Amino acid sequence: MTDSRILCPAELNQETGRQLLAAVRECSIPEGQEAVLDFSETKAMDSRGGAWLVEIAHLLRARGAQFRFERQHGDVAEFIDLIEPGLLAVTKERVEETGGVAALGQQAIDFWAELKEMVNLVIDAIYWTVIGPFEGKRVRWKLVIDEIHEMGVRGLQINSLMNFLLGLIIAMLSAAQLKQVGGVIFVADLVVIAFARELAAVMTTVVVSARTGAAITAELATMKVQEEIDALRGMGLNVSQFLVAPKLLALLIVMPCLVAFGMVMGIAGGAVWGIGVMGIDANAWWRESLHAANLHDVVQGMLKSLVFAVMIVLVGCHNGLRVSGGARGVGLMTTRAVVMDIFFLIVIDMIFAVFFYYF
Amino acid sequence: MPEANDVLIVVKDLVTHYGETQVLDNVSLEVKRGEVLVILGGSGCGKTTLLKHMTGLLQPTAGQILYAGRDITLLDEEELAEVQRGIGIAFQSSGLFNSMTVGDNVALPLREYGDMDERLVKPLVRLKLSLVGLAHAENLMPDELSGGMRKRAGLARAIALDPPIVFFDEPSAGLDPIMASGLDDLVLELNHLLGITFVIVTHELDSIRKVADRALMLDQGRVVFCGAVAEAEASETPRVRQFFERRADEYIGQQVR
Repeated sequence: MTDSRILCPAELNQETGRQLLAAVRECSIPEGQEAVLDFSETKAMDSRGGAWLVEIAHLLRARGAQFRFERQHGDVAEFIDLIEPGLLAVTKERVEETGGVAALGQQAIDFWAELKEMVNLVIDAIYWTVIGPFEGKRVRWKLVIDEIHEMGVRGLQINSLMNFLLGLIIAMLSAAQLKQVGGVIFVADLVVIAFARELAAVMTTVVVSARTGAAITAELATMKVQEEIDALRGMGLNVSQFLVAPKLLALLIVMPCLVAFGMVMGIAGGAVWGIGVMGIDANAWWRESLHAANLHDVVQGMLKSLVFAVMIVLVGCHNGLRVSGGARGVGLMTTRAVVMDIFFLIVIDMIFAVFFYYF
Repeated sequence: MPEANDVLIVVKDLVTHYGETQVLDNVSLEVKRGEVLVILGGSGCGKTTLLKHMTGLLQPTAGQILYAGRDITLLDEEELAEVQRGIGIAFQSSGLFNSMTVGDNVALPLREYGDMDERLVKPLVRLKLSLVGLAHAENLMPDELSGGMRKRAGLARAIALDPPIVFFDEPSAGLDPIMASGLDDLVLELNHLLGITFVIVTHELDSIRKVADRALMLDQGRVVFCGAVAEAEASETPRVRQFFERRADEYIGQQVR
């Protein structure tokens, strides 16, 4: 068998390597012949020169040509030995996408697996929060108090401000409409009913899912990534008991308080607009508000707040525990948790609306 | 072959504190071109802290760190970055970016600073990866690698720009003896073939005996020994003897600061 011989330069570096690649490219290698790179003259090479060798090997392989290195000696031989796997290795490309039907199937499988995990978490969390303590299982009360401080006390200001501003906006918008039919005083009724039934609970949930929900996911996800969750399990401790239940208990206590505050602040916001800007008599506004206030509405708002509390903690924990892949995974899961919170907020709210409409 | 007496880095009277605690106490050393210098000592003696100072990641309380006569403790951010481009750091827990493939991790410094032909980036990445025995792993994500592979990938990224000096923090921590020994061979090969100077932080005796030209031993933030490994093994200093004979403290509680 004959071969095509290519002489390599005395020093293989970025420049000479580039020239060598050009030489190999121009050299036509007949079918059945082997390309031989002759290193007899080469006394030194650096890693950029080596990189050109990798590129040359790639080029020759792409052409379907056989090749070998010859007469390398000294350091150059050692260097070539060391990079040999790189010359021969065929790396697998990452396969990101699968075809339509397969992808759909995969999604269904993933969805089912996630649903099962979620249901397990819900059952576990309810057991450790509601039933466990009555069976004499330990509750970490100190942690619950800390969480109440973090979730409730520290979130009170921003939550109150948001509800106050929303009350102001609702009063402003509805006043413009009701003025046309001469019923500006009914703005007071509208604000009271809307905040008691709906707006305080929804606004508070938005604020809490952004603050607390995201924090829960980030915390648990980081713990998972750093093997802290495995450490807990390895000590025979239950993750739901140890991490989820205290958060759930805390938020079940905090959420109604925040919503109650939200109701007061929202109604106050409406009053500021009605009395302060539209000039309605304060006594008349007060009487109208009291007239509209209704325990049934407040109970509805409070009931929602409890359901939203459960939702925020479970969505947060669920996403946190599903994390994979380090720092980026933590970010992705935190985003996902907040988006899921807002989505479920609307869905649950709608179910409540339908229920209270008919019953 | 590099000159034996050519000094790359000089550290002079380095003092540093974490809060109230003094971590390094008047540490002075020299790193010579082409050598493998091992910084050794027990856990918590300040090894990693010293490494972080030498790479400009931490600011000392007092003292100088000279790269070719330039004190890096006095440089501003941009000048420091300039110096840091000329060194490679392989971290204890690899420091690979989880969101990129192994290949992209190695390519990052090449693309950012390499100032090179874009065509050369991919083959160069493959070359660096095959130098550390990871030619097949180019398209894998870091979380798909084992601990030892991740360390080697971190080393490939550290040598991406062919730095004259590479700092390696705890190369063998958490690795099996076979992998650890392979990593030692790799250090020696890179030292020999590419002329890379290594500063290695470790407390693995076997590894020290195998790779080190010189050793620097720290104890409670002070240099207790600096010289060839053979001298260290024959040293009369109690702390050094104890380290090389692998003897426990009589009351380990007394050592807790």
